[in-house]
Amino acid sequence: MIVILTKTFAILLALIVISKSYTDLRLRRESLLMFLFWTTTWLGIVLVALAPSIVDRIIAIGGGQAGIGTVFGITFMFMFFVVYRIYVKLDRTEQKMVRLVQELAMEDAKIEKPPVKRSSVSDDA
Amino acid sequence: MERTRTVVVVLPAYNEGRMVRDVIAHLPDSIDGIPLIPIVVDDGSSDQTSRGARDAGALVVRHRTNLGVGVATRTGFRAACELDADVIVTMDADGQHDPNDLPTLVRAITNGDCDVALGTRPISFRTMPWSRYIANTLSYAVVAMLYGRRVDDSQSGFKAFTRHAVETMELSANGYEICSEMVGEMFSKKLRYRSVPIRAIYTEYSQRKAQPFLNGVNIILRLLAGRLIHVR
Repeated sequence: MIVILTKTFAILLALIVISKSYTDLRLRRESLLMFLFWTTTWLGIVLVALAPSIVDRIIAIGGGQAGIGTVFGITFMFMFFVVYRIYVKLDRTEQKMVRLVQELAMEDAKIEKPPVKRSSVSDDA
Repeated sequence: MERTRTVVVVLPAYNEGRMVRDVIAHLPDSIDGIPLIPIVVDDGSSDQTSRGARDAGALVVRHRTNLGVGVATRTGFRAACELDADVIVTMDADGQHDPNDLPTLVRAITNGDCDVALGTRPISFRTMPWSRYIANTLSYAVVAMLYGRRVDDSQSGFKAFTRHAVETMELSANGYEICSEMVGEMFSKKLRYRSVPIRAIYTEYSQRKAQPFLNGVNIILRLLAGRLIHVR
């Protein structure tokens, strides 16, 4: 039951991602290269979900040294690296937006230094 | 060359059209003869926050989009430095802080006692709503764990700073985690600080505007993530 659910879920997710990517390509919000990348990646995921034994064959081609655990370990490591990179990029983009909004806000407010007056405190203090 | 000393009160505000006018109206014009300038940083509000603040006599700096209280506070600091402020105070715009506490906070700075005066609320189940009590207690623990020291109320938004302190702190937080970040910077830059007891006013309005409990957890996570990314 769980296996069938997983396979259905993988196909559904792939359909969503590929159709979204295709829409973006048509609206010229995404390049052909990115569309091909996402389509190939998700077709690969569906292939592995429908026929998990393909992983064993790939391992066998590679000399049969690595176990399934190693493959999953490498996949997890790669996924977390991608997540980390996305997080850092998002953080940088957010900081750039912050700087932009702050600059605009300061320009709009037209804050000027108060006039120098003869009064209570010296700059040396 | 001599110039007038000024106290600038920074009030980050998001959709505070109902309260901001009242809050500004209750601020004193000066403290011990030092003129006070309120700066409202409207963080992309969709209501009349900017107009209300301007009508009440505040200087308004408006973000074109909502970025968070941390960014609004940083913008306010920048504006205060442009105004050559000697003392910079941060205060909530929802009426949670009592303007009568302002002179005590400012005097802690002008007397030269410290670089940062931390407005400290009485932390107890009796004086604070339970959800806020738990969220704050957790935050204090995280701050103590991250920075190796603790203060009485690290999450208080009512603080006073010397301009030197504001210029020294390197702040990057965008949301409510800025309160903890300020405390961390205060420790790492070896700024002198003092806790000043203040009164917190928990009205129905300020309770409605308060951050939900889960946001407190989110703040802690962002604080931890921020420490990982911005390791200095």
